[in-house]
Amino acid sequence: MLEIVNVHKNFKTKNGVTNALQEVNLSVKNGDFVVLVGPSGCGKSTLLNIIAGLEKATSGQVSKSGRPILDAGPDRMVMFQEAALFPWLKVIDNVEYGMKIKGTGKRERREKAIHYLKMVHLTRFASAYPHELSVGMRQRVALARALSMDSDMLLMDEPFAALDSQTKSILHAELQQIWGATKKTIIFVTHNVEEAVLLAERVIVMTANPGRIKKEFRVQLARPRNMEDIDLTRTVGQILGELKEEVEKVAKAELDSDWSLENSSFISRPDTHLGNGI
Amino acid sequence: MVYRTGIWPSFLFPSPSGVLENLSAGIQDLSIPIAAQISIQRLFIGYSISLVIGLLLGIMIDRIKYLDQALSPLLLGVQTLPSICWLPLAILWFGLGEEAIIFVIAIGSIFSISMAVVSGIKQIPHLYIRAAKTMGAKGLRRYTSVVIPAALPAIISGMKQGWSFAWRALMAGELLTPTSGLGYVLIMGRDLHDMNQVVGIMIVIVIMGVVTDRLLFGRVEHAILYRWGLTRSH
Ligand SMILES: Nc1ncnc2c1ncn2[C@@H]1O[C@H](COP(=O)(O)OP(=O)(O)OP(=O)(O)O)[C@@H](O)[C@H]1O
Ligand SMILES: [Mg+2]
Repeated sequence: MLEIVNVHKNFKTKNGVTNALQEVNLSVKNGDFVVLVGPSGCGKSTLLNIIAGLEKATSGQVSKSGRPILDAGPDRMVMFQEAALFPWLKVIDNVEYGMKIKGTGKRERREKAIHYLKMVHLTRFASAYPHELSVGMRQRVALARALSMDSDMLLMDEPFAALDSQTKSILHAELQQIWGATKKTIIFVTHNVEEAVLLAERVIVMTANPGRIKKEFRVQLARPRNMEDIDLTRTVGQILGELKEEVEKVAKAELDSDWSLENSSFISRPDTHLGNGI
Repeated sequence: MVYRTGIWPSFLFPSPSGVLENLSAGIQDLSIPIAAQISIQRLFIGYSISLVIGLLLGIMIDRIKYLDQALSPLLLGVQTLPSICWLPLAILWFGLGEEAIIFVIAIGSIFSISMAVVSGIKQIPHLYIRAAKTMGAKGLRRYTSVVIPAALPAIISGMKQGWSFAWRALMAGELLTPTSGLGYVLIMGRDLHDMNQVVGIMIVIVIMGVVTDRLLFGRVEHAILYRWGLTRSH
């Protein structure tokens, strides 16, 4: 159980104080799949980093299984938007790194690394260096690395944003399957509402300035889910309606004008990238 | 060609054949190899010292925040001082001899190596550290498994620069202290007005410099840059 109680986060910068999170309350049951969506700058990454222990809340409590989160730790693996592989290590050694730190034995480590590389279809590249891989391949290695740690919680900050749609849908299927099989708690950040509805049990909509939780949607569709499913599309539509207002607010604040989304097509475009442009 | 024009008298400008003769004589009677060996030995001792101290100093500065604020500007200042300027001090401390030269060699490269370590560590992408943290890497382990490897390309280029400073300091030190080594043979050539010897030794010094710089450091650096994915070439 993850408990976030009354969390505030301020960043002090040269131009003053940014109120990145205000009064955030959220509890996540073990084995839940929570997806955070919201306009750019609403504090999704900040919240995820606080849960990861990479960032400290200015005030409020964050605890996991009753213990306050004070530091980053291997019980909460993080997947960043960039793969964050170590360039001086071969792919397989990158996957093994965390297990090595944890003290997993050499043979077990290798077996697991190969198991997860197989899962992301990259065994052929086990002894390549990260820079010899494409961006999407690197991200798959990062996924293998995160999964090999057997953490009960997985924190993912737009992990698939840089991938092509084919790789993305393979990994979507893979992730749902892994979640079903391992019952890890997953907290996932995305810009893409379709992705959110495809994956989530709960979609949390956040708002900007100050960043806070606006609304929550429960997604109770059968799995495996399909992007073309009518019920899924309907839920996406609902959430987009909620978000449109938010995005417009941010856009207005940023452009300082009467800019309106009615005139802009990037959010309501009826193609497959629906909801991609928040 | 320049020689053939005969504008300069031959004791001011050497003939290529004279230089070659002088070189082969020097190699055959082993005077050049012996001098080179002495020089290289000094260089290795001085450079090894500076490598150890430079790395430790760099890591210390990185670890202790107020040391960074206090020492970094000082180091930057000291680094601009040509290392040969340390020679008088070294002679006062160690006397005219081996130790003084080794001190000058070491001091010449310590600062560029430690500065490279400090700035190399500062430039590490924060993402690597965050990734290491979430995987539970702490303290010394994080240092040896992530911080140092991530900074290695910068550290290597500092080591390369340190090596060239050390090499210069070595030659200057040998020229200014009457002991032994290539620099000393060079100065003897001057004292004897033996142009062929002077130019011959200069050629030896250039060759040694190019070999170590290009072949040794150049290759190591290139291999590291490639593995770290910092070059485009294959
Ligand atoms: N290290 C920092 N220093 C100062 N301000 C920061 C820092 N990190 C985030 N912020 C500010 O906090 C707010 C929330 O940022 P955050 O990165 O959490 O947003 P986000 O929802 O992840 O946005 P995006 O969808 O674009 O990734 C922004 O206004 C940002 O400018
Ligand atoms: Mg973000």
